[in-house]
Amino acid sequence: MKKFFKVYLPFTANELKRNLTYKGAFYLFIFCSLFGTFINYFLWMAIYGSSSSATLGGLTRQEMVVYVFMSYVTAALSMIGISDNVSEDVVEGTVAMNLIKPIDYRLSLVFMAMGNVIYRFFAPCILVWIGLEVYKVQVLGLGITPISNIVLYLISVFFSFMIYVLFDFCFGMIAFFTTYIFGMLMAKDALLSFLTGQLIPLSFFPEVIQRVFDFLPFSSMVYAPTMIYLGKYSGNELMFVLFRQLVWVVILYVLGSLIWKRVTKRLVVLGG
Amino acid sequence: MIEVNHVSKEFVSPKKYPGLKGAIKGLLSNEKVTKVAVDDISFKINDGEIVGYIGSNGAGKSTTIKMMTGILNPTKGECLVNGVNPSKKRMDNAKNIGVVFGQRTQLWWDLPLSESFTILKEIYDVSDEEYKERMSFLNDVLGLAEFFDRPVRTLSLGQRMRADLGASLIHNPKVLYLDEPTIGLDLVVKDKIRDAIKEINERYNTTVILTTHDIGDIEELCSRIIIIDQGKKIYDGTLDKLKRTYGTCKKVSMAVKHIDRIESIDWSVITGKADSVVLEKDDEGKKVTLNFDNNDIEVSDIIHAAMEVTMVKDIEIIETELADIVKEIYNHGL
Repeated sequence: MKKFFKVYLPFTANELKRNLTYKGAFYLFIFCSLFGTFINYFLWMAIYGSSSSATLGGLTRQEMVVYVFMSYVTAALSMIGISDNVSEDVVEGTVAMNLIKPIDYRLSLVFMAMGNVIYRFFAPCILVWIGLEVYKVQVLGLGITPISNIVLYLISVFFSFMIYVLFDFCFGMIAFFTTYIFGMLMAKDALLSFLTGQLIPLSFFPEVIQRVFDFLPFSSMVYAPTMIYLGKYSGNELMFVLFRQLVWVVILYVLGSLIWKRVTKRLVVLGG
Repeated sequence: MIEVNHVSKEFVSPKKYPGLKGAIKGLLSNEKVTKVAVDDISFKINDGEIVGYIGSNGAGKSTTIKMMTGILNPTKGECLVNGVNPSKKRMDNAKNIGVVFGQRTQLWWDLPLSESFTILKEIYDVSDEEYKERMSFLNDVLGLAEFFDRPVRTLSLGQRMRADLGASLIHNPKVLYLDEPTIGLDLVVKDKIRDAIKEINERYNTTVILTTHDIGDIEELCSRIIIIDQGKKIYDGTLDKLKRTYGTCKKVSMAVKHIDRIESIDWSVITGKADSVVLEKDDEGKKVTLNFDNNDIEVSDIIHAAMEVTMVKDIEIIETELADIVKEIYNHGL
């Protein structure tokens, strides 16, 4: 076990260092995504302001503030794309350089993504998070979020991260068949911002569609952890939500292994 | 020991048509084209050998190397590297091999070289003592110290190649695959790389398989060469044998007083064959060059016959170079 981390942790450390090298791209990412979140915030405030009922989709106005910003934090921490790495490796043929080493390609990508998680946790997630809590107490007049919720939230976010990364690995495998997946990446991002509840809380959708979402892994990515943070689940329901996340981790892991096995059978290394 | 048994590799790709019309046609059609990159190749390589694996561009060299390293799965046949089948047990095989692809790097592009080595140390689970010993050796032969702290992306091609070679040797692999390790390098760096390969081979008895287009690499390093052409193995043997068998064409160039007398010599009396000696004159009509096959006639006979008819002022004997042999093989096969 110790050896395992010794082998793969450098990938995490590397990604951290790499992020520090290319700072510009990173600040641009923070700016663009925060910008969207603030638009989202003002939009919701306008909707609540003009609505006659105090709760919409099961969320009060104050809860919606928390939802908007915490879903941002959750998405930033858990939705870390690795399919673009896979696609780059395939297009440039560097996948060969990964295969000559005695390491598991997927694990190295997962640990690499972890480096992004750590970096994003400090910039900007923790700042947004603290800002939100201060805002909650000072402006909204609510209490601070209980520690138990935060701990459960962090566990859930870890599962979200695993689900997303394992899903994205499977998605990235498409690159082995089509070589180039940029267009699909764009489509995936657009679709996921919907399906994960990042754009609109899933509770706004009609009952039937919510049932469908229950059977997809996406609701476990952003919606579930954010609702846990809000304390919307309790007792058995909470256990069920976490258990469902764990099940998705296992399913996507097995699926990824199967696809990888098939892909390496018919692998073509481009260039030279 | 490396065994390659009847290995073939086919690539299947959708058929492409030329032009815009063709591109649209390609979208609709489902035709596939099969390209045989490697066709039923077998050979055995013993421990400690340095084998040159040569062939023209697109002959299937890199594909074979990729199958031996476990990156590609053969369509037919199997490879065994020290008893391990790389396509079934890629990770086990990877622990015992070192690979350098001249056109790519296995180093971490954005990090200082030293970091790449630390990561590789962990990946291959090299102990501190071994690491120290290996590093001092690699420093001696490759001179890594001068750029050890610089990010890999700032290294020159020569430095990067030395670094890559060093990185592939950090875990003391039993087998070292080098796919065009000297591509694009200047003469000094080439020499350094060659010396390093020789020394590693002698010191650790590492098996080296080397593909290259540089004849110098082959002449200096390889005791044995395998030539493939269009996916098929066409020669497997020592370098000497190749030269002896295919390098029998020689030239004798002479400056003589009376060229016409040389021209009138009837060589078939000596060789027993017509047209076995081909004569060329230079523009000024002072020098004459005789092309012949060493199997038909000896150099001494040529000179003797010439000296009998006229005065010979200067003689030059030109042997076929390996480059010419290889060129000939690439062009016409064996």
